[in-house]
Amino acid sequence: MDELNLKDLERIPIPEGLEKRLSEKIDEWEQAEKKPHFFSFNKPLRHVSVAASIALVLGLGYILLQQKVSINLAEQDTYRDPAIAKREAERALNLLASNLNRGMEQMKKAKDISDKTEHTLNKQLKSWK
Amino acid sequence: MRRTIITLLCCVCCTMTCMTAQAQVKAFEKYSDAKNVTYVYISQFMLKLAGLKATPSLPGVNTTNLMSKLDCIQIISSEEKNAALKLKADTQGIVQKEKYGLLLQVSEEDEKVDIYYSIDKKHGVVIMLTQENNEVTVIIFSGKFTLEDVIKMVNK
Repeated sequence: MDELNLKDLERIPIPEGLEKRLSEKIDEWEQAEKKPHFFSFNKPLRHVSVAASIALVLGLGYILLQQKVSINLAEQDTYRDPAIAKREAERALNLLASNLNRGMEQMKKAKDISDKTEHTLNKQLKSWK
Repeated sequence: MRRTIITLLCCVCCTMTCMTAQAQVKAFEKYSDAKNVTYVYISQFMLKLAGLKATPSLPGVNTTNLMSKLDCIQIISSEEKNAALKLKADTQGIVQKEKYGLLLQVSEEDEKVDIYYSIDKKHGVVIMLTQENNEVTVIIFSGKFTLEDVIKMVNK
């Protein structure tokens, strides 16, 4: 019975190019098996991806924390009335401006004296020539 | 791998810089509860509520531009001798530690005024330290402004 089946099988014609197609398919399967999975990446790339995830989480946490901090700062305002707050802010800025003005006036006086001295010196030097 | 580590380190440094700049404002917040010290805090939120249009009280002084760029103003003052000395010492310590530049120093009879600044691309702080007799006042202006914005305020 087995001998008969074998003989019948040998009589069946083999389609053309079957061997070639089969070997190509086998090659395909081999390559698919060799394709790297995520966890078979080289170590440095895995470390980079982990580090990037940690950095992203830390960054998001920091941004959320800053929002919380800015809300807390608004709650610490000394004045509840914006008009009073504005008045005090202007007073502080005017104080800064007046002090800066004083300094600049002194600087201008010093510059005038320096220019006058330079002018006198140049005049004297010219007269000696 | 080395490039990635350097990039990550740079990001951490930038974050730390930002946190340090904010720390300047926080360094003075301890005075909000201090004895014999008057502490006033005005936030950007309150300034915006008030409206930015300034009513000029000094001739030729325009504070509108600078006020629009401020994040907050802190005004700390003390008339009590020990508290005033401590406030002055703390301020000078912060200024030295964080390497503030001295913008101006005016000394007249009983009054002495020092104006310090620390301004970079992202953040600016101007500290004005006033000493008159036994009274010390420190005003801290913090925001996103340049030195030009500060100078433009005054009479030309």
